[in-house]
Amino acid sequence: MIGIYVHIPFCESKCVYCAFASFVKDESFQSDYFEFLNKEIRTCKFEDRQVSSIYFGGGTPSCVKPEKVAEILAVIKAKFNVLGNTEITIECNPCSTSLEKLKTYYLAGFNRVSFGVQSLDDDMLKFLSRRHTKAQALDAIKNAKAVGFENISADLLLGLPAGDIISDAEKLISAGAKHISAYMLQVEDGTPLKDMVKRGEANLPNDDQTVDNYQKLVDFLQKNRFLQYEISNFALNGFKSKHNYAYWTGQAYMGFGLGAHSFDGKNRRWANANNLDDYYKRKITQEVLSDSEINEEKIMLGLRCSEGFNLKDVSFNLEDKQDFKQMIEDEILIREKDQVRLNPKYYEISNSIILKLLS
Amino acid sequence: MKKNIRNFCIIAHIDHGKSTLADRLMEQTGSVAKRDMQSQLLDSMELEREKGITIKLTPTRMNYHLNGQDYVLNLIDTPGHVDFTYEVSRSLAACEGAILIVDATQGVEAQTLANAYMAIDANLEILPVINKIDLPSAQIEKSKKEIEDVIGIPAQDAPCISAKEGINIDEVLKKIVTDFPSPKGDENEPLKCLVFDSFYDNFKGAICLIRVFDGQVKVGDKITFMQAGKQYEVTEVGVFTPKMEVKESLMAGEVGYIAASIKSLSDVRVGDTITMTEKPTQEPLPGYKEVQPVVYCGVFAVDGSRYNDLKEALLKLKLNDASLQFTPEVSTALGFGFRCGFLGLLHLEIITERIEREFNLEIITTAPSVSYKVIKTNGEELEISNPSNLPSPVEIDKILEPMVVASLFTPPEYVGAIMELCQEKRGIYKNLVYLDKSRVRIDYRLPLGEIIYDFFDRLKSATKGFASFDYEMDGMMSAKLVKLDILLKGEKCDALSLIVHESFAYNRGRAIVEKLKKIIPRQLFEVPIQAAIGNKIIARETISALRKDVLAKCYGGDVTRKRKLLEKQKEGKKRMRQIGSVEIPSEAFLSILKLDEDK
Repeated sequence: MIGIYVHIPFCESKCVYCAFASFVKDESFQSDYFEFLNKEIRTCKFEDRQVSSIYFGGGTPSCVKPEKVAEILAVIKAKFNVLGNTEITIECNPCSTSLEKLKTYYLAGFNRVSFGVQSLDDDMLKFLSRRHTKAQALDAIKNAKAVGFENISADLLLGLPAGDIISDAEKLISAGAKHISAYMLQVEDGTPLKDMVKRGEANLPNDDQTVDNYQKLVDFLQKNRFLQYEISNFALNGFKSKHNYAYWTGQAYMGFGLGAHSFDGKNRRWANANNLDDYYKRKITQEVLSDSEINEEKIMLGLRCSEGFNLKDVSFNLEDKQDFKQMIEDEILIREKDQVRLNPKYYEISNSIILKLLS
Repeated sequence: MKKNIRNFCIIAHIDHGKSTLADRLMEQTGSVAKRDMQSQLLDSMELEREKGITIKLTPTRMNYHLNGQDYVLNLIDTPGHVDFTYEVSRSLAACEGAILIVDATQGVEAQTLANAYMAIDANLEILPVINKIDLPSAQIEKSKKEIEDVIGIPAQDAPCISAKEGINIDEVLKKIVTDFPSPKGDENEPLKCLVFDSFYDNFKGAICLIRVFDGQVKVGDKITFMQAGKQYEVTEVGVFTPKMEVKESLMAGEVGYIAASIKSLSDVRVGDTITMTEKPTQEPLPGYKEVQPVVYCGVFAVDGSRYNDLKEALLKLKLNDASLQFTPEVSTALGFGFRCGFLGLLHLEIITERIEREFNLEIITTAPSVSYKVIKTNGEELEISNPSNLPSPVEIDKILEPMVVASLFTPPEYVGAIMELCQEKRGIYKNLVYLDKSRVRIDYRLPLGEIIYDFFDRLKSATKGFASFDYEMDGMMSAKLVKLDILLKGEKCDALSLIVHESFAYNRGRAIVEKLKKIIPRQLFEVPIQAAIGNKIIARETISALRKDVLAKCYGGDVTRKRKLLEKQKEGKKRMRQIGSVEIPSEAFLSILKLDEDK
């Protein structure tokens, strides 16, 4: 079983915090890209593989003509073994997602839609230079529901200068969201946000405030039967994202498009170039993981998930490590037989805990 | 042959132009072609050039022609800073004459005086030279008079030069020949050489810099280091021009070097006498007195696994700097390292910088300490240079601290500021003398421990850099001293302990915990930082528990980026030290040395 990721690097405009491979380009430019993407998928060497999930991400997949996206999905279906229960997601921006577009996606075979809502505070949406409003976001979810989508996800951002993430979550759930991702806003190098922070124009909350909000959100979602199956991901029963889960559990996946990443499920990771020239020349970077790197990844990714990792999957003896014993004793880590997971109370500092386990 | 040799050194206050004159002498005698001349050639160590001071001695042989005769002039350079008085004495023992440079704009300074007296004590002929006559503020006659009045040597015929502009350099060369005596000694007597310096060469082993007093030495000779009691066969002899130049032999009166495949660095001791194994001299030369370090600190490798590299570095530095002392030390916080003794703060700074630069080792140094004498209630006496070894207060009858007599030279307008500083530093006023209208000398008796803390910086800022400062050791005195401990989450951090005067303990403790709070990153749990005297907590700060580290999206399956980030953080953790369960960055140990700079 493999997961498939398709990268659509186009946006109507670039958001202030975005450090991903995406740009604002005209249609002829887009045509070249889709033509190449089409070829990339058709000529890849992974046929006869069963596909567990397909994910169209970006950029903003919803900002290009829906037929383009449908066509690529068709190419994938022709090339791979896509089953009826395969999870097929498209990332959408609320402002570029009309009822018509959603219909096209649904008919093309998409069965999950993920909205980049980020916030339901119009001032905050402006601050982030998002192009949609609160009303558009809620409408988009309702429209998705109306055309038949059941599996609807919404992204929220933690760590914004203002807004009420709990009330946002509440509204999203009542509009029909079955899955919520909540990421902390990161100030990445080279983004306009970084400059704003430097100039003192972005009044971001401190870590303590952000974590307080995060915990409030976790509590709220729990009360509403959303299971926290990963640090930043919450879902009602049956609505976990299979695709993202594949990343965290070491399954194989294929990435197509600009800067897309792939993993053979064993020890080889590779990625397409993230500038178009090199991508069109089919340049890739790849790495073969050493045993210790494989261990590191298993622990690093496993501890982000509610299931944790299995001690038998790690090839060195973690049990003898003093830090490990101490963290079990302090109930930072929870062990059931050979399965070890992180106490959700410590999710926000998972990095430090992982570091302690690995060094 | 011998009668045409002149061995001499140059003594001067810092910045009075010693290195520049040395450069000029070499240029004038053609030892170095002008185009090869890198300014201030003798200060060859990168660090010396940066700091504009000479630490290491580099002898140079120059050829000079005067009145139909060929002369060999051996210049043995000397350092000018107070920390290196010991090195000056080493150079003096190898010379017959000393050029005394006086800056015509500054007159005779404290260090000039101290070194001039040393040269007079060593029976050297002194040639005063007035430098910087090209400057508009030069006061030639006044400087000459000062030399005569303060030092007590005739100065009317002193050459007046500008080393920088190359004015009257030839006069200095002539005077070296006419005024300085030629070396005594007999080449037919048994070999007798003084080792006045050494350094390590990766191919030739330890190189000994020597002055031959009697006899001669050549390749193949079997030699004995009299003090070390070690025998070697000479593999190379030569001179410095200033580059190393191989010679067939070195005769009585000459200055040069010997290589003998010496691998064991501890066999070469500066001040030792070399003689022939077969036909030894009866009497070794009087060695130098062992200098006692006055400032101590712990030195540890940031990467604890490089302990052996650190040891090797210290051994190699010691070869060239006999005054450096070190013994192994174990710290619960910093692991294995060395407690090192230095001649002063500048010496400490130079050695630690050389370890980092020349041996590519990152190190942590603990707060400098002096050596205290502790008399216990049971009458036992202890020397304590490491605060963590101080016995508990109930066992201590009294603590004696080393004192210095400091002479501070300043323009009159800063007298008030200086006196205030000295009082604050527990100084005892001794004397105040108006040297002339523009200069005052103030003498204070001060605890050395106060001087090594931040005295230099404070003096500099209080007097806009106009005051200069010199001190010599002046016995011990009893004082109310206490050990200030720093506790992290209840665990004592030995590397952060200090011995301070009772009256400063509170302020110092407060400043340290505040500083540490800024430097130690938040941890998985809350970390109280406390300063304590014995069981009494005198200051406390708390680092609250870490609430968040990066919760990044693992976007589009880019696991590699995430792992790389983690690996980078893991690398950073190597630089952390662990006290109990608390992780401290190595910078924390250095930061408490510079508490005042942040204020």
